[in-house]
Amino acid sequence: MSQLFTSPDVPQVLTTTLSIPYTLTPGGAAGQFLAGLAERRILGSRCEPCARTVVPAQDVCGRCGEQTPDLVELPHGGTVTSWTAHQGRVVAKIRLDGADADLLHVVAAEPGAVEVGDRVAADWAAEPTGWITDLAAFTPGRARSGPAEATPVARAETSVEMVPYRLDLTYHHAYGPYYGRMFDELGSFSRLMGSRCSSCHRVLLPARAICDVCFARTDQFDEVSDTGVLQAFSVIHMEFVGQTRKPPYVYAEIVLDGSSTRLIHTVAGDFDLADAASTLSIGMKVKAVWKPESERVGTLEDIAYFEPVIP
Amino acid sequence: MQRRISRVAIVSVAQTRLRPSWDRLQHVDLIGSAVTDVLKGTGVTMRDIDFVIDCGSDVLDGRSISNCGFLGAMGGHHKEESRVEEDGLWGAVYGVTKILAGPASIGLVVAYSKPSESDVSAYYSTLADPFYQRPVGLNHRVASGLAAREYLRAHGLDPEVLDAPAAAAWRNAAANPYVEVADAPDAATVASGGLVADPLREHHVSRNVDGAVAVLLAAEHIAERITPAPVWVTGMGSAMDSQMLTDRRPGELEAAAAAAGTAYRRAGVTDPASLALAEVSATSVAEELMVLEALGLAPRGHGASLYGDDSPVAVNPSGGAIPADPVMATGLVRLAEATRRLTAANATTSRAVVHGAGGIGMQNHCVFTLEV
Ligand SMILES: [Zn+2]
Ligand SMILES: [Zn+2]
Repeated sequence: MSQLFTSPDVPQVLTTTLSIPYTLTPGGAAGQFLAGLAERRILGSRCEPCARTVVPAQDVCGRCGEQTPDLVELPHGGTVTSWTAHQGRVVAKIRLDGADADLLHVVAAEPGAVEVGDRVAADWAAEPTGWITDLAAFTPGRARSGPAEATPVARAETSVEMVPYRLDLTYHHAYGPYYGRMFDELGSFSRLMGSRCSSCHRVLLPARAICDVCFARTDQFDEVSDTGVLQAFSVIHMEFVGQTRKPPYVYAEIVLDGSSTRLIHTVAGDFDLADAASTLSIGMKVKAVWKPESERVGTLEDIAYFEPVIP
Repeated sequence: MQRRISRVAIVSVAQTRLRPSWDRLQHVDLIGSAVTDVLKGTGVTMRDIDFVIDCGSDVLDGRSISNCGFLGAMGGHHKEESRVEEDGLWGAVYGVTKILAGPASIGLVVAYSKPSESDVSAYYSTLADPFYQRPVGLNHRVASGLAAREYLRAHGLDPEVLDAPAAAAWRNAAANPYVEVADAPDAATVASGGLVADPLREHHVSRNVDGAVAVLLAAEHIAERITPAPVWVTGMGSAMDSQMLTDRRPGELEAAAAAAGTAYRRAGVTDPASLALAEVSATSVAEELMVLEALGLAPRGHGASLYGDDSPVAVNPSGGAIPADPVMATGLVRLAEATRRLTAANATTSRAVVHGAGGIGMQNHCVFTLEV
């Protein structure tokens, strides 16, 4: 089914999510702090030159740059020094007893029930794991656990060394007039459209308003053939994040007939991938193999792959 | 022999209209429009430009090293091109410095933003520390709410003090052809807005908008041939506060004051109020007042007094960043706005101060002083 990306009524967007895996390394003081949380202990660090205790523990004093390896265990009670409520959650700066800087955390209370100066205490998760949310929240009232005052502690044996983490970010990309027309044509007529530079007359695919080389405007859409010339290729064997097909496959740059730019796609067909390097050659003619009409969705994936044209 | 450059001027500025969503255009369309317009009437062609510096955010753009994809639209092909992952005003610092250093004469600085394509809160939370701050929900709104409470408390002010400056910002923006405003709220409407980050209400916090801005910089000997009214950069400064929000001094913006101090020393400014035009950035009205105070335009706790008719300083006649915050382009838009006002036929002042900010809770600050 075709989709009109340049429809005058509804601007069409491409909704896509970047999901990126990380392995975070907390490092010295942060690793100790997180490990401390797993034991229901709140560790800060003390800079002697500044006579200042900060929490969470830090490796370097933010004020003077001094290395601050001295760890202190802090009481579980403190005072609200500032707060806000955003989307139903109260986030506050809390000055733990014995600390000289605030800790940012959640206060489990209705927005109207919190005031600067209120006493709050740590409320621990049932099963702490070594993460900041082991401190489930701070709740109004007196501390029910923890030391009575800031107490120097030796560097702990245990440290959280690695934290698996994932960042998911969702986008709604506008197609705009050039990609809109290009994907309309692809979806409706299974044809590829480039735009022609008014100065150098190259046909640019994907279509765009301004020629990259000349900084001149393009002045017309031109249909580009679904046959072309293999410009470069590589057989991909390794797996990586974001891959759209399973290795091995041939990743190729193809200059389509009627265009002046290189299209990235894959080359496949009636040949063994083990022999790709000898079967394929730069300058070889290739032709698009389109998916069955019922499977086309108006993206470049409507072309299943390019296959070599054997003369 | 290389010419010794003593002064750099802004010789042309251009921008798209700032709208909540340019949903029918791509980044490249917005950038191409601003860059095409900035050359108009200058006699300068893309071939004359020695370097391009561009500012945006990969996280907001949803692609890595996003400038690579946008290069053609800003004329960067086979040119010296650099990306600054900061507000565009830092790009301008880079550009001015390159020209002052000698090897370049004309430079293009571009900044752009399409926050409508992404989740701005998620963007800001990626700026926060992932171990301590992100998991407890820190984003720009939370940071602004905390800053506002601390500012009001430090000076014994009621939240209502924020309503008139917010209304002034929206009124100015509504009169600005470069900002799309459907309905500017008056002070009463501001006061009755829903709480977004207690004590801040809907119209106290910045509205994110899409847009692009381009600024053309030139060395002195060329500037005067391009335009009869070059706007000279007389001072620049930048400074950064602690990454941990809890490690910054509450109720004020020390890094903004440090950045202004550097710019003022360079420009020989001893009385900041002599800079009768101020275009400043902020993510909330409370922080806008804190910026004005850090720039030395009002005593601490008295920033709101600068919005009256008898104010010695015209504060954000463009409307500023509260009605229109194209994150990463906001500061460079301020530079463009100040330039247009300094060179207008009916200009009332010859000197201006321009401010840009970046980071969560406005951790980073950049200040320019300008003169015609
Ligand atoms: Zn210290
Ligand atoms: Zn061209």
